[in-house]
Amino acid sequence: MEIRDALDALLQALYSGVLSGSVYGLMAIGLTLIWGSLRMLNLAHGALYIAGAYIAYGVLSALGWPVLVTFALAVGGAAVIGLAIQLVLINPILDNPGRDSASLIATLAASIVVQSAILLLFGGQTKELPPLLEGGFKVGTTLISYQGLVVIGAAVVCLLLMTIFLRVSRRGLAIRAISQNMDAARLMGIPIAPTFVVVMVISAGLAGLAGVLLGSILFFTPSGGFTPMLMAMVVTIFGGLGSVPGTIWAAYIIGLMESFLAVFVGPSWALPGIFLFMIVMLVLRPNGLFGLGEVRRL
Amino acid sequence: MLKVEELEAGYAGSQVLHSISLRVGDGETVVVLGPNGHGKTTLLRAISGLVRPRAGRVEFDGTELTHLPTEQIVAAGVVHIPQGDLPFPEMTVLENLLVGAYRSDAWGARAERLERVFQLFPPLAERQRQLARSLSGGERRMLALGRGLMSTARLLMIDEPSLGLAPLVIEQVYATIHAIKRSGLSILLVDENAEHVAGLADRMYLLEAGVLVREGAAAALLRDQALLAAYLG
Repeated sequence: MEIRDALDALLQALYSGVLSGSVYGLMAIGLTLIWGSLRMLNLAHGALYIAGAYIAYGVLSALGWPVLVTFALAVGGAAVIGLAIQLVLINPILDNPGRDSASLIATLAASIVVQSAILLLFGGQTKELPPLLEGGFKVGTTLISYQGLVVIGAAVVCLLLMTIFLRVSRRGLAIRAISQNMDAARLMGIPIAPTFVVVMVISAGLAGLAGVLLGSILFFTPSGGFTPMLMAMVVTIFGGLGSVPGTIWAAYIIGLMESFLAVFVGPSWALPGIFLFMIVMLVLRPNGLFGLGEVRRL
Repeated sequence: MLKVEELEAGYAGSQVLHSISLRVGDGETVVVLGPNGHGKTTLLRAISGLVRPRAGRVEFDGTELTHLPTEQIVAAGVVHIPQGDLPFPEMTVLENLLVGAYRSDAWGARAERLERVFQLFPPLAERQRQLARSLSGGERRMLALGRGLMSTARLLMIDEPSLGLAPLVIEQVYATIHAIKRSGLSILLVDENAEHVAGLADRMYLLEAGVLVREGAAAALLRDQALLAAYLG
């Protein structure tokens, strides 16, 4: 009996760890791409996440379109908001010497605008989205929902596609070149501002995708993007700022660590445990798991 | 082909280049010789748009390049191979070369260009899957040259390719620049060592403290030992 309980607990921890790791990965990869190429911390990332969830909710409740179409619209909508932020707020200050602090303020402002717009349109009550697939099955005492598997599958596919995109496509190579040596990249004929736009659109789309996927598992409110963004930042730092493979590993390690702490030590230990671990790890490896200091790695 | 007229450039608070005028003809190899810190790199950066010129004009085949962004200058066919090591250290040799063919007109022909670069630099073919940061100094310089050749360059601007290399490797690097010259490309090379460029340069300029002080056929200038000693030490 005891072995059985332990196995059940193990399975529960594995399942929810991989599930949250998948969502953290989708969120963190966008932060990493933007950090790696633009050297910018995008504080609007959480707002893009929650915008994805609310766009899906709005389209579903107003038009009643099929869930899959709605989800695709939400990803596209988040990408368009990201595009607007880049074109209106970031591109004009690219050559500004005070770009670092200016971009922090600009993206924070954008996140406040997006969240307030959501609050005005939808109110502050909690909302939820229907799953793409209903139902689930039980293994031991662990309930595995089909929607959970959809989330994991979608995340793995997107992270793989992202990795391939950065390795073989012309645009992907350009993004990595910019992140490693911006002047040399320009001398190869790579235009800087349009490439940043591509980075922002991809990153915003992935944040929106994370939002709709998790919105069908958890309830959400207009400020609900903050915690996922915080976790994504932890993952990004842990993975070594600007390292895509590092970020993917870090997402699953953090997700699993969180769920193992919750299952085996107690739910209230999950966050403090992770931050304690972060502190220890940053003392031992200040550049993160895969970080290479000043060398950039996308 | 390339015509630079009364170019002035510098960085915040200090002017580096004073009224530089030079030209590079079709298929010509022109060398700007000068000691370190006298503006050779700034000259190339000003032509390729990484440093904004304060005055003067840069013209290439009749098109004015002076205030164009770098990517359009590259598109016009002027490709600058910067000084020093490791442009994209965390990318493989192959990926580095492919980035060189980024412009859409070069991207379509990347397979043939890659083959040509590998013919010119066999060590790069052997190491195409390695990260650029694992290459030796000479191989890195070959990679930088090869990456320039992946583009649709008609004028290659090369910044001191011998910097920090061992004598034997320096010979190899200049031999490959000879090969590039024979392929018909125009070259603008900046260097501080007259011996390296003997036999390579068609015409030369001497640069001192941001001013072009002499111009002439390379053979004639290189014979004048007293002149070279006075300017290059």
